Amino acid sequence: MKESAARSGNRQGTSGGDFKDCFRPEDYFTASKYFAPESLKEAVEILEGYGGDLKVLAGGTDLLVEYYERLYEVKGWLDLKNIPGLKEIKVFEDRIEIGPLVTHTELEKSENIKEYYPVLNRAAADVGSPQIRNRGTIGGNIITASPAGDLLAPLMAYDAEFKLVSTRGERIVPVGQFFTGPKRTIISSNEILSRIIIPLPGERTYGSWCKVGKRKALIISSITLALVVKFNKERVIKDIRACLGAVAPTPVEIKEVRKRARGKRIEDLNFSELGELVAERISPIDDIRGTAEYRRDVAREIMINALEEIAEKAAE
Amino acid sequence: MKKIKVNLTVNGKEFTLEVGPKERLLDTLRERLKLTGVKEGCGIGECGACTVILNGEAVNSCLVLTGQLDGSEVITVEGLEVEGRLDPLQQAFIDHHAVQCGFCTPGMLMSARALLDKNPHPNREEIKRAIEGNLCRCTGYQQIIEAIESVAGKGEEEGADYFEWDPD
Ligand SMILES: Cc1cc2nc3c(=O)[nH]c(=O)nc-3n(C[C@H](O)[C@H](O)[C@H](O)COP(=O)(O)OP(=O)(O)OC[C@H]3O[C@@H](n4cnc5c(N)ncnc54)[C@H](O)[C@@H]3O)c2cc1C
Ligand code: FES
Ligand code: FES
Repeated sequence: MKESAARSGNRQGTSGGDFKDCFRPEDYFTASKYFAPESLKEAVEILEGYGGDLKVLAGGTDLLVEYYERLYEVKGWLDLKNIPGLKEIKVFEDRIEIGPLVTHTELEKSENIKEYYPVLNRAAADVGSPQIRNRGTIGGNIITASPAGDLLAPLMAYDAEFKLVSTRGERIVPVGQFFTGPKRTIISSNEILSRIIIPLPGERTYGSWCKVGKRKALIISSITLALVVKFNKERVIKDIRACLGAVAPTPVEIKEVRKRARGKRIEDLNFSELGELVAERISPIDDIRGTAEYRRDVAREIMINALEEIAEKAAE
Repeated sequence: MKKIKVNLTVNGKEFTLEVGPKERLLDTLRERLKLTGVKEGCGIGECGACTVILNGEAVNSCLVLTGQLDGSEVITVEGLEVEGRLDPLQQAFIDHHAVQCGFCTPGMLMSARALLDKNPHPNREEIKRAIEGNLCRCTGYQQIIEAIESVAGKGEEEGADYFEWDPD
């Protein structure tokens, strides 16, 4: 089918106006395909067959914004909604597996996520607005890989791994190797993210989440911090992850924090020094959401607050 | 072009539609079903004017593709009124002067309705959070929050007289 001349890319034309009976919304859009396969196997076969032409569709909250004025470019959708299991959160002995279609609202409501990954839980609650949280999914957030994606720093702080499937089989990629740049990841166009796998954190693990932005709802983060600290029985820090979002092209872990804090008790740490360290190591950019200097100041302060919060929780 | 057959219940009425793969729920509601209470402000999820209740949850109808919705249930502002009687929220918006130009109102009402269906007695913070995805350029929100609060403070039976989502 050929693209019609009326299809100008001005989407505003799709509503309002006096179209009466002659109006058919789909006339505005190009010929396109829609697949909603009922198994992952079928899904990857379709994807393989169409190469990069199909867009994998989850909640659509990123796709429909990205393509708002150029939906005509989309040659077709591969909708994941009918594939069983992709909406589940499953608890195993040593890990939790989250299906990519789990929404932010579901992450916010899930008792398991609340209990084991409070930082992820709170990050999900901070995404956009209720309308966005009700549709937007964890898988979409990961694959969009926006530097401001709220779930990315928490996933890094909890050592998540992503399972990718294609007709050639599957591979599991740790979060630290997944993001390669703003909106870039190592996923190829014939792969589907089928699971987010997070090890169970174990006892005496505490977390803190902070999102700083311009206004409360619908902010695209200007900076986020996910801090997760594991203690042993003697209250010594076994492991610590300080991960930041929106300060660099990808979510980043400040690994020096690990070196400085491991093996110590939290009360023996110098919080302002660690705050300074975080501020130094991030490479923030100037943009409309804040200057680099502002972000470094904020990074230092939220790191100090997060350490204080965890010290308090651990003392309880 | 491939058409997608979609069975959709809108405001309690069943429809079988054949839609194109890129038709947004917003367009389906406004253009096909003539439910023009659903407004398009920004088209990109920022303003909430297009908010409807989809399977019990508030969503931006500008960011939903109708082709994905087979078997779903949608409520728009037109579905709030039952046999000529306004939903208590609608009456409260009038009584509290929560409407000025009115463009945001249908979306506000749907966000508020979605909240009260789940949580009939929300506190002020919960109300604010429920409408954080709805912009109003006129009222300054105060009257809107008070209107919702006035319904939230009342007994359950007050709000229950309206079409309800039953997932089974
Ligand atoms: C108004 C507004 C406010 C927002 N606020 C925030 C915010 O505060 N914080 C935040 O982090 N995000 C925010 N977002 C962005 C967005 O809502 C989230 O990133 C959301 O999680 C995306 O999920 P989705 O299911 O809607 O993705 P979709 O739009 O369906 O997909 C996004 C991308 O991921 C790909 N994809 C999806 N699932 C898979 C899969 N399983 N395998 C392979 N590829 C896949 C798609 O092909 C597409 O490229 C906002 C968006 C809007 C419109
Ligand atoms: S028109 Fe949908 S949110 Fe603005
Ligand atoms: S009354 Fe005018 S935008 Fe809300």
